[in-house]
Amino acid sequence: MQDIFWLMRKIFIETFRSKKNIILYLFFPLFGIAIAFIAFGQTHSQSLAVGIVNEDPGKITDETIDYLHTKTGIDVQALKRDKISEALTSGNVDAVITIEKGFAEGILRQHPGHITVVSIKGNSVTAMLKATLYQYMDNLVALSTAANGDAEQFTMMYEQYKQTEFGMQTTEMGDLSRQFNMTQTAIGFLIMIMMISASNLSEIILKEKQERTYYRLLASPITTKTYITANLLVNMIVMIIQFLLTLLILTGVFHINLGIPFWEICLVMLLFSIISVGLSLVIITFANSRSAVGALKNLIIIPTTMLSGCFWPYEIMPKVAQRIAEFLPQRWILKTLTQMQEGSAIENLYMNFLVLFAFALAFFLIAAYRFSRNNSTKNFI
Amino acid sequence: MHLQKCVSFFILKMIRLCMKRVESVNILEIQDLTKKFGDFIAVDHMSLSVAEGEIFGFLGSNGAGKSTTIHMITGLLRKNKGTIIVLGKNSEKSATFIKRNIGMVPQELAIYEDLTAYENVHFFAGLYGMRGKKLHERTVEALKFVGLEGKEKIYPRNFSGGMKRRLNIACAIAHRPKLIIMDEPTVGIDPQSRKYILDSVRKLNAMGCTIIYTSHYMEEVEEICTRIAIIDHGKIIAEGTKEQLKSLITDSKLIVVDVKSPEAVDLAAIQAIQGVSNVQLDDQTIQIHTELGVNNLNHLIAHFIQNGIEIRSLDEREPNLETVFLTLTGRNLRDA
Ligand SMILES: Nc1ncnc2c1ncn2[C@@H]1O[C@H](COP(=O)(O)OP(=O)(O)OP(=O)(O)O)[C@@H](O)[C@H]1O
Ligand SMILES: [Mg+2]
Repeated sequence: MQDIFWLMRKIFIETFRSKKNIILYLFFPLFGIAIAFIAFGQTHSQSLAVGIVNEDPGKITDETIDYLHTKTGIDVQALKRDKISEALTSGNVDAVITIEKGFAEGILRQHPGHITVVSIKGNSVTAMLKATLYQYMDNLVALSTAANGDAEQFTMMYEQYKQTEFGMQTTEMGDLSRQFNMTQTAIGFLIMIMMISASNLSEIILKEKQERTYYRLLASPITTKTYITANLLVNMIVMIIQFLLTLLILTGVFHINLGIPFWEICLVMLLFSIISVGLSLVIITFANSRSAVGALKNLIIIPTTMLSGCFWPYEIMPKVAQRIAEFLPQRWILKTLTQMQEGSAIENLYMNFLVLFAFALAFFLIAAYRFSRNNSTKNFI
Repeated sequence: MHLQKCVSFFILKMIRLCMKRVESVNILEIQDLTKKFGDFIAVDHMSLSVAEGEIFGFLGSNGAGKSTTIHMITGLLRKNKGTIIVLGKNSEKSATFIKRNIGMVPQELAIYEDLTAYENVHFFAGLYGMRGKKLHERTVEALKFVGLEGKEKIYPRNFSGGMKRRLNIACAIAHRPKLIIMDEPTVGIDPQSRKYILDSVRKLNAMGCTIIYTSHYMEEVEEICTRIAIIDHGKIIAEGTKEQLKSLITDSKLIVVDVKSPEAVDLAAIQAIQGVSNVQLDDQTIQIHTELGVNNLNHLIAHFIQNGIEIRSLDEREPNLETVFLTLTGRNLRDA
């Protein structure tokens, strides 16, 4: 353990002595925030035209539509089911919410659902609308639970709730979607920087081999395992600093609403850190020299990050590209974050987490296998 | 019957104890060590031992297998066969113990360009478990030892080749190992740095370190080593003090001829002259090994005159390590 700290200390000193590295590891990730501001910086966004298809008429549905009316930043208009695509393509509406049959029933039975949202403005608009609706529906469910099936009690409590909630003007809707968009842009860029940083840090292992200090280390009581562990830990720490810094500046300095509880987004990014470090180890085990790492890095990281929709909406990519993207960890990170912004509870996303864990595990297994093979063929212990 | 068993057991035990005593004097014992790279045998059934307090010279030309042997001793390379015992411990069972007690100066520089001279030594010494004040003192001491005091804060990229070599040594000695293995520490450096290095080897030895010194500079080895092994094609072809080695070739002498037009020299014809055992041409110098007691100087000179080759100088040399090496490897080559 002492040895690990000693090695980590050296890697930190060596790495952060160079100004270039400080800029790359600590300032570059924040570039994404700047890009987000350039792309979505204007505060006065146009209000959104939202069409509502009501297929479940009744008191609760009407109240829900009324609730949407009270929100600023969106203009709500009623729409017929068969007019949806026409309204969307003509640009009369930006998004359509369909309240399906069984909506009111679902709330009373404490299983909210039966809502679909379609938008031509991309993920963030859909996410924002869903988040708003689900938040409202969850409150209704809570009231219904408290009323314990008593209709009169429910109505009374609802009226009370309506007075406080409807009267309160929180964030403007358009602004919320803008903030979700900014979060996604900043994180899309952060993802690329994290992957590049991770492979740069793993490249130190190759640098040590090339400059032969590695063999000197192995001639001391240090083992390969200790050395790799130290490198890996430094790598993880840098990753964590990168995403924490970005998220803290987004929320703390610019007061951006991420649309996801802070610790939940941290959890997802932590998982991505592990994936990045794993992939970086795979890259260096396949590269024999540092220039090969550079080539592999350019060949793997940048194209896959683009394909995953880190720089532009996934929806605008051709179908083939979308299908390929399903096999990329970055896509799954973005997907998970979008679903979380839409209001999915973390426990409903176990499938996403499973996939992300599988990526991490696969990378580490490949790296471990390659390491053991390299070591035996080169005869160096 | 019972008593007999007891006595024999006791005697056996005594013998083992005595053998242990003998063993413990040797800081390094190698037996039947073999290393193959594919079909190529880099180290070929090598056996040798180094006693505590020696400066043991490891002499051999390029590719002889010196570095390969050292890498197996320091645990960097797996051996194919044989045993290595350092400080009485087997390398297979006590790898970490052995690593703790060895300081290796690698043949090629292994230092961090992005750390200062002080930080380099400090870091490597810290790998052996030292921290704090003790580590600082040892670091300063090691740097002073190789004559780099006052240069602590300088980055190696601003060092001369010789200074880098000295730093390379300092990184291996700060933890005060019992056995220091230096793999060609003086390759390509200025005379001043070379003097520093040879002096520090002597000082380290005086302080009680055993040193294995690898080189292909004969003069160096001759100057500082107490015992020498000559290694060729992965085998030890001679071993002993320099006097012992020189006495190996009392049967031959070396005639060195400087000529003006080396291209006209017919080595085969010289070889055919009576008493000549080996001929080598190096630039404008011909080295002729010839049997002692055969007076063939006239024949040799006649050969040069007949072929119109102008002799610039002719010298008959006392055997030194160089002649020993040439003679031995010459024989060895012919045998192969
Ligand atoms: N990893 C390897 N794979 C294949 N062959 C190797 C390897 N390492 C060394 N060899 C070969 O083994 C032989 C001995 O090499 P070694 O480095 O031990 O020689 P050396 O005596 O140290 O020579 P030098 O004076 O050039 O350092 C050489 O022919 C070399 O090519
Ligand atoms: Mg060598």
